[in-house]
Amino acid sequence: MTATPVRRDTTATGTMPPRARPGRGGIGRTHDRWWTPWLFLVPALAIVVVFILFPFANTLALSATDATLLKPGQFVGADNFVRLWHDDRFRTAMTNSLLYVVCVVPVMVAAPLVLAALANGTTRILGFLRTAYYLPVVMSSVIVGLIWTNLLDSRGLVNQVLDWLGVISEPVPFLSGRWLTLLSAMVVTIWTGLGYYMVIYLAALANIDPALYDAASVDGAGPIRQFLHVTVPGVRTTSALIGLFSSVSAFRVFGEVYILTGGTGGVGGQNITITMLIQQEGTGLQAETGYAGAISVVMFVVLGLLLAGQLWFQRRGGSR
Amino acid sequence: MSFRKPARYVLPVVLALALGACGIGGGADDSETTVSGEVKGEITFQTWNLKGNYADYFNGLVTAFQNANPGTTVKWIDQPPEGYQDKLSADAAAGSLPDVVDIGPEAAFTLANAGMLLDLSKTDPEAKASYLPKAWDANAFPSLGGTYAYPWYLNTGPSFFNTAVLQKCGVSKDPLPATFDALFAAGQKMAATCKSDATMVGRLPAIETFGAYGVPLMDQAGTKFTFNDAKAVELVSHYRNLFQAGGMTEETLNKLQTGEVDAFKAGRVGWLPGSSYTLKDLKATAPKVAETVAISPQITNDKPNMYIESLAVNAKSKNVATAVAFAKFATNKENQLAFSKQAAIFPSAAGALDDPYFTTDDGTDEAKLRLESAKAVSEAVVYWPAAFSSKSVDYLREQIALAVLGKKDVQAALDEAVKYADASLPKK
Repeated sequence: MTATPVRRDTTATGTMPPRARPGRGGIGRTHDRWWTPWLFLVPALAIVVVFILFPFANTLALSATDATLLKPGQFVGADNFVRLWHDDRFRTAMTNSLLYVVCVVPVMVAAPLVLAALANGTTRILGFLRTAYYLPVVMSSVIVGLIWTNLLDSRGLVNQVLDWLGVISEPVPFLSGRWLTLLSAMVVTIWTGLGYYMVIYLAALANIDPALYDAASVDGAGPIRQFLHVTVPGVRTTSALIGLFSSVSAFRVFGEVYILTGGTGGVGGQNITITMLIQQEGTGLQAETGYAGAISVVMFVVLGLLLAGQLWFQRRGGSR
Repeated sequence: MSFRKPARYVLPVVLALALGACGIGGGADDSETTVSGEVKGEITFQTWNLKGNYADYFNGLVTAFQNANPGTTVKWIDQPPEGYQDKLSADAAAGSLPDVVDIGPEAAFTLANAGMLLDLSKTDPEAKASYLPKAWDANAFPSLGGTYAYPWYLNTGPSFFNTAVLQKCGVSKDPLPATFDALFAAGQKMAATCKSDATMVGRLPAIETFGAYGVPLMDQAGTKFTFNDAKAVELVSHYRNLFQAGGMTEETLNKLQTGEVDAFKAGRVGWLPGSSYTLKDLKATAPKVAETVAISPQITNDKPNMYIESLAVNAKSKNVATAVAFAKFATNKENQLAFSKQAAIFPSAAGALDDPYFTTDDGTDEAKLRLESAKAVSEAVVYWPAAFSSKSVDYLREQIALAVLGKKDVQAALDEAVKYADASLPKK
C-alpha cells in the first residue's frame, strides 16, 4: 500500500509548538472559567460600586432616617420629604436651580454654536480667538470667582465704569440683590462654559459636508441663511447633547454662587441653590445627613425628569 | 474547582456588598469612660492655627510634659484656620478624634451630645476649683448633664473706631459712642452724610450681640431658646431702621466677621467690635487705619462678651489618663500665663489674671489695651450658648437679613430663628 499524502498544518509540526486544546489546562487555556471576564471587570466594578452604587443606595437609605453626622439615626419614613415641602430654604433653592436651567441652558446651546461658526477657520487670528474663548475653561473656579467678585463688587470695575459714564448714581448691587446676584452667577457660568461647548461644536462643524454650503450658496443663501439652514441642522445631535450636559451642570450649580456670595447663599440665603443647600445641611459637625440625603434624592428625581423631558422633546422633534 | 451557576450571580453581589460595607459603620458608643491607668503611652494633641506664631511655646510645652511624665509621647498636630470644623467633623465621623482637642463650646456641645468627649463632672470634678467659675461653666451643658472640656484661653475686646471715617461723615469722636443707642444714632448721622461710602456698622448682629444688648438667650435649663422677646425685636429694628436710612449697605447684610474686619481695614466701616489682638493685626495689615483708630470699652447693655477656647479629651482615647494629664498640664495656671504672655489672650486658670502682667501699665498702647481687656474679662460672660450651632448662626443671620430688608416682619424672623435653633437641641 502506498501511503496517502496528507496535508499537514505546519503549525502542528515540530517547527511551532502545538496549540493547547480547550479544557485541558496549560498556559494557553482560555474561556473555560466563567469568572475570568469578571476578573477584568473587578477594578471598574469596584469603582462603580464603591463610589456610585453604594453612595446612591446609602443616600436612599439615609433619606428615610433622622441620621446626623455623629448618630446613625432611626427610620422616619417620609418625614424628611414632608419637612422639605414646608422648608422655605428648599423652595428657594429649587426655584433658583430651576431658574438657572431655564436661563443658562438656551444660551449654552446657542451662543457656543455662534462662536464656533465665527471662529471656525485656519487663520491665526481665529486660532487666537479660539484659545481666548477656551481660556476660562482651564482656569480655576476660585480664580474665576475672584475675578468676577472684584469686577462686580459695589466698588468694583463695572460699577466704577457705570458711575464714570454717569449711568448710575448709586452702585448696582450685583452681588447682593436677590435677582442680580443670580444673574451675575449665570453670567459667570456662561462665560466659563462657552469655550468648552464651542470646542465640541467645532468638532461637529468639521463633520458637515462643505458641499452643502456650496449648494446653499448656489441657491442664493447668504451667511445667515447658510447658518440657519445648513449649520444648525447639521449639529442638531451635538446641540441635543450639549443641552443635556448643560442642563445637568446648571441644575447642579455650586461654585459660582458659592464664591460670589461668600459661601452664604446671598443676603438672607435668597440665592442658595440645591447643591449649596445639600452642602449646608450635610456637612459640618451638626450635619443632618438624613435630611441632606432627602434633598439629594429629590434633586436626583428632578434631574431625571428634566433629562427625560428633554430627550422626549428632542425625539419628538427629530421624528417630525 | 468549579462554581455552580447561581454562584455566577451571587459572587458579584457579595463582592459589591463587601466593598460597600467598607463605608458602613460608626455611630456613637454611649459607654462612660472613667479615668484610670498610668500616665503613659502616646497621645495626639490638636490645636487650631497656632503653629505659625507659637510653635516654640507648644514644642516646649510638649517637651516639659514628656520630661515630667517619662514614658509619654505627645504628638502635636496643628490645623490651619480654614475648615477646622470640617476637620473635626471628619475625625469625629471616622472615630479618629485626637486625644486632646482644642475646641469651642458649640463644637464641644455637639461632640459631647454624641458621647465623644469625657464628662469631667464625673471623672474630674475637683478640677473645677482650678479655673474661673464662668470659664468652667462655659463647658457645662445642663441639657446634657455634664462638663466636657478644660477651659483654656479667653478673649474679649473693646470697641475700635476709625476716627478718620467718623470725622469724614460728621460724627464727633469726643465722646465716642458708648451705648447701643448712641451707636445707632451716630450710624444714622453717618448715613445722612456719607450714604453708602462709609457706614458705622459693618455686620448684622450675632447671637452674642443679642446677649450684650440684654436679651435672654436661653431658659435656665438650657432646653429652649428665648432670643425672640421684645428686647430682641428692638435690637433688630435698630438695624432695620439703620439700613432703611442708608446706614448699612445691602452687601453688609451678607458679611461674616472676616468681611467686617476687612471693611474696617479698608476704611468703609466706622466701628469694629474687636478683640485683644485686633490692634496688633491693624498695625501689621492696615497701618494707616491703626494710626487713626480710637479704642473705647465694649458696647454693652449688660456684661461684656467674651469667647473661650478649651481642651476636650476624647472619651474613647486609648490613653485617657495621659490625655487628661496633658489637658490639665496645658491649662494649668503656669502654662496659661506663659501662653498669655506670648499671645494676646487671657488665662482662664483661677488667679492668673492677678498676675502683674495684667495689672501693671508700662505706658504702651498694647499694655493699655491688655489691662482694659483683662478688666473686661473679669466681668465678661460667654454669651454664645454652646447649644447654638453654627447652622443656627447662619439661619439667624439669614432671618435677620430678610427682616432688615423688609421682606419679613422682625418678630416673625426671630420666631423662625428660635424655632430652627430649638429644633437642633438634643431630643429628650
